[in-house]
Amino acid sequence: MAELHIIGQIVGASGFPHNSLFCKWGLQTGEALAAVCVGRGMEDVEKHEYFVPHQIKLILSLSSASGWPKLYMQVWHQDSFGRNDLCGYGFCHIPSSPGTHDIQCVTWRPLGTWQEQLSQMFVGGGPQLKHSDLIYTGADRYRLQTVAMGKVHLQLSIILRNFDQYGVEY
Amino acid sequence: MASADNLREKIKSKRKALQASLGGSRQVNDNRALVAAEIENGTRNENARIVQEIQNEDEQAENLKRTMKAQRRRRKKMLVDDTDDLHSEESTQEVNVITPRQRTLPPLPVSTPRTSFAEFSMREKLREKLKAARSKAQSAIQQEETSVPSRHLIRFKDPKSVTRFDTEVDEEDAKTAGVDELPHPPSKVRFREIANKVKQRSKDGFPSAEEAYNFFTFNFDPEPEEAEEMSKKQKQLGALKNIDQEDELEDDGDGEESAVRTEVEEEEEGEEEDQPLVKDNMDDEDDYLFIIDQTARDFLVIKAPDYESYYSQQQKDKKVLFTPSVLTVATSEKIPEDMQPRFLEDEGIYVGERPKVSKSNQNILENRLLKNKEGKKWFGSDGRIIALPNPIKQTYTRPPIFSLHEKVDPAIEIFYKKLCALRNAVKSITDYHNVHISATQRRLVEYKSEIRTTRRLCHMEQEKDWTLLKNLVKVWKDIKSLREFQKFTNTPVKMHLRRQEINRKADEISYEREIQTEVAELLEDYQEEYENKLAEYKKKYEEWKAWRKAKKARKKKKKSSDDQETDDTEESSIFEEVPKPDPPEQVDVSLIEQQVRETAARIRRKPGEPVLTPELSMTATVTPTDQCPRGEQLRRQDVQRSSLYAKIIFNNKEVSRTSSQTLSADFRIHFGQIFNVQIINWPESIKIQIFETMGMSSIKTEVFVPIPETTILTGSAPIDEIEFSSAHRIMFDHEGVGSGVPFSFEADGSNQMILLTSGKLACSISWAVGEDGVPLVPPVLHENVGVQRSLKHIDAISSIGTSGLTDMKKLAKWAAESRLDPNDPSNTALMQLIMSTTSGEALDNDYFRLEQLQEEFNFVSDQVFNKSKRFRLLQLRSEEVAEFHNFKQVPILDREISEKIFQEYEKKLHEKDTVDITSHLDPHRALVVSFLQKVRDSVKSRFLLGKHHYVLSDMVVEEAVPSISMLGISLLKLAEPRRPLRPRRKERKKVTAQNLSDGDIKLLVNIIRAYDVPIRKSVGGKPPLTSRSARSISETFATSQIPQSPTQSHEWFTNQTSVRPFVEVSFQRTVRQTSTAEGPNPNWNEELKIPFRAPSGDYSTANLQSVTDDMFINVFDEVVYDVLEDDRERGNDVHTRVERHWLGGVQVPFTTIYSQSRIDGTFRINTPPVLLGYSKERNLSSERGWEAVRSLSEGSYLSLFITVEPRLVPGEAVNEKLETQEDEKLLQKAEKFQKEVKQKFPNRRCVTLVTDLTGKLVFVTRFIKALSPPQELLDAFPHDYEATMELVARYVSLIPFLPDSISFAGICDLWCTSDQFLNLLAGDEEEHAVLLCNYFLAMGKKAWLVIGTAIPEGPTAYVLTYEQNQYVIWNSTTGQYYGQFDAFCPLQSVSCLVSADNVWFNIQKYETVMRIHFDTSKSNFWKPFFSRSFPFPGLSSVQPEELVYRRTDKAAAVELQDKIEKILKEKIMEWRPRYPTRWNRYCTSTLRQFLPKLELSRGGEVGDDHSAELQNLLGDYRISGFPINMAFSELSPIIEAVHSTGVHNTVIPQVEFALAVYVHPYPNNILSVWIYVASLVRSR
Repeated sequence: MAELHIIGQIVGASGFPHNSLFCKWGLQTGEALAAVCVGRGMEDVEKHEYFVPHQIKLILSLSSASGWPKLYMQVWHQDSFGRNDLCGYGFCHIPSSPGTHDIQCVTWRPLGTWQEQLSQMFVGGGPQLKHSDLIYTGADRYRLQTVAMGKVHLQLSIILRNFDQYGVEY
Repeated sequence: MASADNLREKIKSKRKALQASLGGSRQVNDNRALVAAEIENGTRNENARIVQEIQNEDEQAENLKRTMKAQRRRRKKMLVDDTDDLHSEESTQEVNVITPRQRTLPPLPVSTPRTSFAEFSMREKLREKLKAARSKAQSAIQQEETSVPSRHLIRFKDPKSVTRFDTEVDEEDAKTAGVDELPHPPSKVRFREIANKVKQRSKDGFPSAEEAYNFFTFNFDPEPEEAEEMSKKQKQLGALKNIDQEDELEDDGDGEESAVRTEVEEEEEGEEEDQPLVKDNMDDEDDYLFIIDQTARDFLVIKAPDYESYYSQQQKDKKVLFTPSVLTVATSEKIPEDMQPRFLEDEGIYVGERPKVSKSNQNILENRLLKNKEGKKWFGSDGRIIALPNPIKQTYTRPPIFSLHEKVDPAIEIFYKKLCALRNAVKSITDYHNVHISATQRRLVEYKSEIRTTRRLCHMEQEKDWTLLKNLVKVWKDIKSLREFQKFTNTPVKMHLRRQEINRKADEISYEREIQTEVAELLEDYQEEYENKLAEYKKKYEEWKAWRKAKKARKKKKKSSDDQETDDTEESSIFEEVPKPDPPEQVDVSLIEQQVRETAARIRRKPGEPVLTPELSMTATVTPTDQCPRGEQLRRQDVQRSSLYAKIIFNNKEVSRTSSQTLSADFRIHFGQIFNVQIINWPESIKIQIFETMGMSSIKTEVFVPIPETTILTGSAPIDEIEFSSAHRIMFDHEGVGSGVPFSFEADGSNQMILLTSGKLACSISWAVGEDGVPLVPPVLHENVGVQRSLKHIDAISSIGTSGLTDMKKLAKWAAESRLDPNDPSNTALMQLIMSTTSGEALDNDYFRLEQLQEEFNFVSDQVFNKSKRFRLLQLRSEEVAEFHNFKQVPILDREISEKIFQEYEKKLHEKDTVDITSHLDPHRALVVSFLQKVRDSVKSRFLLGKHHYVLSDMVVEEAVPSISMLGISLLKLAEPRRPLRPRRKERKKVTAQNLSDGDIKLLVNIIRAYDVPIRKSVGGKPPLTSRSARSISETFATSQIPQSPTQSHEWFTNQTSVRPFVEVSFQRTVRQTSTAEGPNPNWNEELKIPFRAPSGDYSTANLQSVTDDMFINVFDEVVYDVLEDDRERGNDVHTRVERHWLGGVQVPFTTIYSQSRIDGTFRINTPPVLLGYSKERNLSSERGWEAVRSLSEGSYLSLFITVEPRLVPGEAVNEKLETQEDEKLLQKAEKFQKEVKQKFPNRRCVTLVTDLTGKLVFVTRFIKALSPPQELLDAFPHDYEATMELVARYVSLIPFLPDSISFAGICDLWCTSDQFLNLLAGDEEEHAVLLCNYFLAMGKKAWLVIGTAIPEGPTAYVLTYEQNQYVIWNSTTGQYYGQFDAFCPLQSVSCLVSADNVWFNIQKYETVMRIHFDTSKSNFWKPFFSRSFPFPGLSSVQPEELVYRRTDKAAAVELQDKIEKILKEKIMEWRPRYPTRWNRYCTSTLRQFLPKLELSRGGEVGDDHSAELQNLLGDYRISGFPINMAFSELSPIIEAVHSTGVHNTVIPQVEFALAVYVHPYPNNILSVWIYVASLVRSR
């Protein structure tokens, strides 16, 4: 069984307009990657302060190399009133070569109309994606008007196991 | 001007090369552009150009002379223009065209800097080359001083070389060079000023667009510069000469040329002035011409030029160079020695037509080749250079009538030649090789047959030729007549028939000879044939003769005997069939000759007739338009108006289009454009659409152009002509013949013809060549990247269309038809595909599959994948399946995982649906369990989201930074008086569950003291040895002194029986015990540490909450027996046996400890109603009554302090907004109410809204409703209210207790309605209390639900009743009741009272039961929820109208009883593996009889009588044992309870056991289980 171990952390973020961010992340895999086994650390919601590293530990068993996993994330900002506002969406591919990788995941945020932007400035809120799969599927993304946000820094160590048994060389 | 002409020639050839290279480089440059730029004069047209060029040269020279001055001044302008036409290649003509245009069009200022930069960078680059070139030029000048330069030649050069520079523009370099180096024509001071300005400017950067524009377009005063011009030309010419000389240095040509050009074009810098070449001319002007760049000079070194004398150079040249002679080489030199030249053509071998090469060139080449060592291999056996047949195919397009003739003519010649060659060969063979007849015979025959066929072909060709000629003449006549008829001429076509007079005699002779040869040949043929036939004839004749003979013989026989008549006839019938053969006819020579002559006359020119050669010329004068009739004028106008352009469509997308060109009078259009297309997709089709625009309308025809082979590259691509036509029907209103319209040439309109629009498109398509000479051809795909690719490669799409690709049959058919090479690797994919389709017809799939190739990419199949144990383990772990939830280390290899891991889980999965009845003993309970499981699952999923809610402190451990206030507090603490004798428990730090692991958690049990432990009764026999301690009567309860029965009191005083109790704490099968104390009120004050191990190592809050383990705190009596057999040894030995007798126990669930985090208080020890051999000091049974209850309580008590180390954070209740059906107002009020009371009394629990089983919020009063208990219970004691109440309480307490925190781990408190409760037969305090409260209400009592905290349950619900002016508190889970002032009442605090119509919150100062008033009417004590401001809205109850009870099934109870007994017996034997377990049947039956009595009395009273009775029965047995009573839920708790008593632990050798079980059924399948366990030791 070919296994992909992902060990690493979300180191932090930079370039965002706010401090006090937290990040929700998930793993998207192809359908062909028949069964995904997720080890510890897979939290649906993970809240942490800016620059507090968050550990990621995943074990994936792959039945095929297609549908290589992607890590997608939503960056949220908690303001002084305790409200959580969306700060950015982004995704990055899990590196396919073993070793430690420093990854920068660039993020973007949908931009509303000027009225929405105005209201966002004063009362918070703002446009968000209805379906989070839009983060990593590019099909409809071009319709969105977006604004670039900061980068999320990840440090991932990849361990590939038993891939050579299936003729995958790396 | 011979030298000039020579020069011109050379320059031309030079320029051609240059242009070619330019074209190449241009294409390279443009390769990047998707849609290529338009090139006005392609390389293709160069040949045509040159011809015109030569004609135009003279007038061009004149032209140039005229414009030269202006041009010199405007040179900069031109340069600008040249850069504008960066993509256009200029030719000489273009210059002329451009020049006037430049006058009208000012150059674009924007591009000016570019030009200058280009030049500068160029100069920088070429500085090196310059020197070398100059030296050469110098020598050249010396050599050819006489040669006069012609101006226009230089004109050619100028723009071109500039263009070349432009292509090499490197703007980045140019920037550094700066503008200050701008070349400028010698001019006036004004110009210099501007230049200086620019110079200054350039310091900061580039000149602005305006400045640049001014700079280049400023109209400076003209100045005579002829002299300079001349000198420049001389120089240039010199350079050119030089280049011409050094042919072999071809590569340098460009560079040198441009170097010289640069030199000339730019004004010379001072450093080069000393060179003799430039000096004299330049000196006078250079002074003010140069703006000397100091910085640039810093990098330069001034050196004298290297010079080599012309002579020495010549000498060197002689050494190096070889000039082949122009003289013809003798044939003998070219062929190997002693060989005769052999002429293959004469031998009949096809050699093809050799390409035409001029004789001198051929000689030069031959001479050069012979100089080489292996030169001879270049020559064929005929002594000529080996050459491929001439590839040039000559065709003529217009008019078509002539083309036919031209096509046929060479064919005749070829055949004729071949015929001659064959004849020669035959002749030579017959002549020379007579000896080897046998060998050559066959060849001869072959030749002859060949001659025959060739002759036939020759005749055919001749005939064709002849008819063609005739047709030709006819057509020409037609044209002529038409011209005459129309009275004008449209085309310059004119045909002459040139008559070639020949020598009649010679011709006749040759003609005659030709005929004679033919006749001879024919004769020979015929002769041969004749001979053949003759031979055949002879053979046949022989046969015939033989037959005749036989016939005659038979006839003779016939005559002799008639008998054989029948045979005869038969035989004759056979023989008669042979006819007499005719002898072959001799061929008539004259006849043959006549035939030959006839054909010759038909197909050949008559001898002596002049040879008519049709000659086409374009010399006929076209009638001028004004002389034509009106119709023709219109037509010509139309022709002029109509213009054509072509679109190039690549892969069905238009990529470019040509400029629109008007149709010339001869219907010919020259586009002359090259389109570069950079392609990204695989080329599928190239299409050229031709549009004709005539006025507004446009007509379209399409031409498909094949995609070029990968070998066809730019430069080598031939121009193909592709015919196109259109069926479009056009009518004209003038004399023009439209398309698709019938017309006639004849005057009478007969012989109608229909002409369609048609034409020919000449184009060539090729792959470009990259800058590095690598052809930009897509790689040929050999790998089967996919079916689609390989299909494209062989271009199936063009043959069957894209849709055909999906149709397998069509594809297969196509593949079969196109005869694909199956061995071609590029076809493998396709072949496989076809094989699979043709072999298996069943492969016809109707469905469409996404990612059909996925399987190929899969590492393993899904089955194998799912089989992997490791993967399964990981998966289960991540799914948080209970068994694997905290499986820390998953083995890395499959084989390291044993199958056993899954066995249990699989079993569980299997059993999930099929409820195992046997293990539950009761089908109903089993169903309840499964139902509970389902409820649990559903509720769990409902609260899943909340469960994953983490707070920051869960993740981050953060030490609090000490603040001022904290410092202050700690300082105050220092000042506090120290009281070491009264230690206080310190607040400990809380630890979150995530950071824990096995062994971290310990349970601390501090056992302080016990009260009223039962004491031993001395029963018969020997008194225990250890009854030394004096019995001290506890004075704690003053009122408890009750007179004992006489016998007892006697015993009491006589036998100093006592007790040595110790406490044993067991948790998770870990056992700790205290030391043994003395007496019935022992004081231990010991701390026991018990390790805690969470199931499956998961210390998460949820898991800890669901731990179902109980802590058993048991009190034992340590009894020491003397086992010494021999009294004589008593002095020396001490032989004792220690026994322990269970006295009672306390059971504390872990959940309580966990949620309370500490339990501190005095607990009532659950002592069995009968303790054999023990007695209480006091017997309160006679004093039952409310008074007794008020003041004291029976039983023993134990003071405990239990806590968890480290302190755990209990799970917080989820404050989830659940759906509700309550009124909005009520909800708001409830929220408000709770907030208010929370502020005042944060510790008191206020219950208003509770969650029901479906997860909805329900107002708590809805649960309270009078519900009648089972009639049986009411009937039991019809007149005794108290007894009835007790019975009811007991009934309720018999319903098994199942805390919510276990069933719905860490979620919330769920309230069931009473009917649900009775159905589930499980619930926690709330359900019990609600049910009991409802029963009491139904019995007409005043009853409330008390919400408070109790020991050991924690937050709980009790029932409060008001009886005879006092309040009684009922513990619904145990059935016990307490008076308000009972010191041992487990209820510690009261926070709420709930009735059917209101909720009161305790706002008194105190909350302990003893110190509060229960009078709810007093508003300063109790805060009502529904007051006058918010009256009770009359909430309907959620309880059912009436509870329906099922009848008790006694038979089932008996059955269960037997089952339990059997299992327990087995268990006890199991627990005693080392000892035999004997059962005393007699005792067991006695006990069994006794148990129902206990049930009736609900424990207690009968104890003493019972023990006495037992003692009587068993006589000399010492019995220790007790009955256990419990509510029946499942078997395991019963087993656990029996185990905890430790009866089985007895190791006395002769011990016997007795075990009796009694199950008493109550209505609705509520069962009370009594278990009597006893151990019997025979006492001597």
